[in-house]
Amino acid sequence: MATQGALAIRHAGKIYDPEGVHVVALDDVSVDIGAGEFCVIVGPSGCGKTTLLNAVAGFDQLTDGEIVMDEQLLASPGRKLLPGPDRMVVFQHGALFPWKTVLWNVACGPIAQNRMTPTEANEKARELLGRVGLAGAEKQYSGELSGGQKRRVEIVRALMNDPKILLLDEPFRALDALTKSVVQEYLLELYDYSRKTVFFITHDLEEAIFLADNVVVMTTRPGRVKKIVRVDMPRPRTHEVTTTDRFLQLKSELGAAIHEEALRAFEAGERELA
Amino acid sequence: MKQSSHGGSPARELTTWFQLRRWLKARWNLNLLLGVISLTTLAAVWELGKPLGIPLISNVPPPSEVIVAAQDLLTSEQYWQGWYLSLQRITIGFIIAQIIGIPLGLAMAINRMTFDTTFPVIEILRPIPPVAWIPISIVFWPTREMSVIFIVFLGAFWIVLLNTIGGASHIDPSYKRAALSLGSRPNDLFWKIILPATIPSIVTGMAVGMGISWEMVVASEMIAGDTGLGYLLWLSFQINAIGHVIVCMISIGIAGYCSSAIIRAAGEWATPWRRLF
Amino acid sequence: MASPDTTTALESAAEMVSVRYPWRIRVRRWLRSPRPYRAALGIGVFFLAWYLLIDAFKVWRFGELPGLVNSTQEWLSADPIFGVSLFTAEYYRHIWTSFARVFAAFFAAITLGVPIGILMGWRRIFFGLTFPILEILRPIPILAWIPLAILLLPGREIPIIGLTFLAAFFVTILNTLLGVRSIDQVYFRAAQSLGFSQSHILWHVIIPGALPYIFVGFQIGMGACWFSLVAAEILSGSAGLGYKVWETYYYVQFPTMVITMATLGLCGYLSSGLVRIVGNRLMRWRAKLLAGV
Repeated sequence: MATQGALAIRHAGKIYDPEGVHVVALDDVSVDIGAGEFCVIVGPSGCGKTTLLNAVAGFDQLTDGEIVMDEQLLASPGRKLLPGPDRMVVFQHGALFPWKTVLWNVACGPIAQNRMTPTEANEKARELLGRVGLAGAEKQYSGELSGGQKRRVEIVRALMNDPKILLLDEPFRALDALTKSVVQEYLLELYDYSRKTVFFITHDLEEAIFLADNVVVMTTRPGRVKKIVRVDMPRPRTHEVTTTDRFLQLKSELGAAIHEEALRAFEAGERELA
Repeated sequence: MKQSSHGGSPARELTTWFQLRRWLKARWNLNLLLGVISLTTLAAVWELGKPLGIPLISNVPPPSEVIVAAQDLLTSEQYWQGWYLSLQRITIGFIIAQIIGIPLGLAMAINRMTFDTTFPVIEILRPIPPVAWIPISIVFWPTREMSVIFIVFLGAFWIVLLNTIGGASHIDPSYKRAALSLGSRPNDLFWKIILPATIPSIVTGMAVGMGISWEMVVASEMIAGDTGLGYLLWLSFQINAIGHVIVCMISIGIAGYCSSAIIRAAGEWATPWRRLF
Repeated sequence: MASPDTTTALESAAEMVSVRYPWRIRVRRWLRSPRPYRAALGIGVFFLAWYLLIDAFKVWRFGELPGLVNSTQEWLSADPIFGVSLFTAEYYRHIWTSFARVFAAFFAAITLGVPIGILMGWRRIFFGLTFPILEILRPIPILAWIPLAILLLPGREIPIIGLTFLAAFFVTILNTLLGVRSIDQVYFRAAQSLGFSQSHILWHVIIPGALPYIFVGFQIGMGACWFSLVAAEILSGSAGLGYKVWETYYYVQFPTMVITMATLGLCGYLSSGLVRIVGNRLMRWRAKLLAGV
């Protein structure tokens, strides 16, 4: 079991103030993620999920509250957090460097951080790529890969850096349902293998339940925590669990909460347009 | 297509420009300060170049002398006549380039046969720098005026043509399919889909073409003209009135800048849907 | 680029084997398509029109111009009337002079322009300091600098090269700047997360990311070089193709004028072709991406 990577977000608040229009993106959000836990945040568009993730990653600063990792204060309003390899991000639209080969993309992190020699890094990269079924793709440019392959490479790239926590920002959003289910299983396999803490954002409820230990439902703007549900299905999971009674039970339990928020978000959108 | 196969399409470049401008607006204050610093430094170096004996720069008359020269030149009739004639040549040559270039470009983009036969000829003629056409143009055209206008035309023509072809042949086919399934006739397809979708790249081509037109008017007036701002520039140089040379350079710069600004403004007016970007 | 949301896992397996036909098959396909014959038709009509308008019937002012037959004969003649043909040393002397000037100017422009452009795109303070100067100087046509270049720079050769340099210099800076700005912010974020150092970001994110734009700049810059070179040579040169165009006009050696113009076109075409080939070599990742449309 992992001993590192416990993340605590306490009373997080974020207020955007573009041109005097006050927008509360996050309001008193507290989430606790134990070391090695898979936590999924679900919520409608514009609920501040990505803001929260960006704050943990260090791309964006909170205006209120603090982020603590392994008992260590990372960020608070007076303390700017910089991005770093201890919190690896997998981006919504992917951020593999298209001008580099798959192998370079995967191996670059440890080499840049001087943690491994290029030979070691390449060896490790090959091993991990093999684990996600991409053994033959090392020499290809990352732009040549399909969407599902890119996501797998990107997750592998993140894991190569031995982060304390993995931050995934709706990584499978652009994939079709079939590819998505395949890549999800690969992600779980990698998770079982590495036991990193995972902070995963999505608006797909089934994906959330399938992957998570804990599902956090957020409200629409201002983003607050609405509900936290523990998913007590055993691991390793395969896609067969999506048809079990427990899964369906969790789905209906969470579905009602999410649907309510989605409606509110939709109506808010209508109001903004009017 | 040659234009778009290497690098972003013209439309994408334009978007990047918009982003750049928006970015500038957001950071206006810092950039204003830095801009003032840099331009003041530039002016100071230029002004002090002579007294301090900085190599190269000391050969140029400092701003104070240029201002005197400007007062001198701005009151002369020849200067304003130069503005008038150069602008006239630009306008005529540029408009002819649009009148021929845009329809030809559209025809080439729509009709495969036209493209296949015409494009190779264009590829033969286009690499010849327009300046190299000046002598032959003097030989051919009955008057000097016409040859200058022809050179201006040539400068703007290629780029407008290529941008029109590029724009019209890169329209998302789903627009055409949508229009057809909504019951459009081929005629409507041209006026309602192809033409509007091509306007942004035509405007880009026009803006670039305008810049080249100014290059061409200056070159042909310097080489072959006896009037216009370009000629005045060359004349001032030959009578060693370097202050006047600099005033002419600045004037041509302003003229070029304003004409590009007009084109950009017209382009934004003609494509209201792009203001969202 | 294949959009990721339409690719299924099955398709992705097939995609791993990239298909590129050998050139022989591509040539055969090309020959089977109507394109080469239409191209021949177009070019044929062009030369026929030249012949009919000028050589044969001397229609209107076309009679003043050099004919197709005359010019071709002159070009191919071992003993040309006006002293310049494929078989004279003078022809190659002019070509070499112009080429040497263009390449000297072009390399100076890119070695200075690319670093400046990158700094402008990357460092805000540097951008703020230099962009206003660029914006003030840029609207002035390059050719309007000719008098000042002759005045400022020593000798006869350096002003010509300086002017040619200037033409490519602005274009290179501007395109490099646009290129750096065109890089998606997400790559910078990823680089930060991965713990890249500043030099890593420069070499592995900024330069490759901006390269497509930089090479567009090189292409335009190469064209601009030839274009200003001709003007500069006409106004102040004593050798080179641009000078030759004007000299042949002056001494009424019109067939040679056509030869020189054609040679200028050819040189311009070859040098941009060279830039393009180098660009494609350096950006194989991109060529593959575009081929997968």
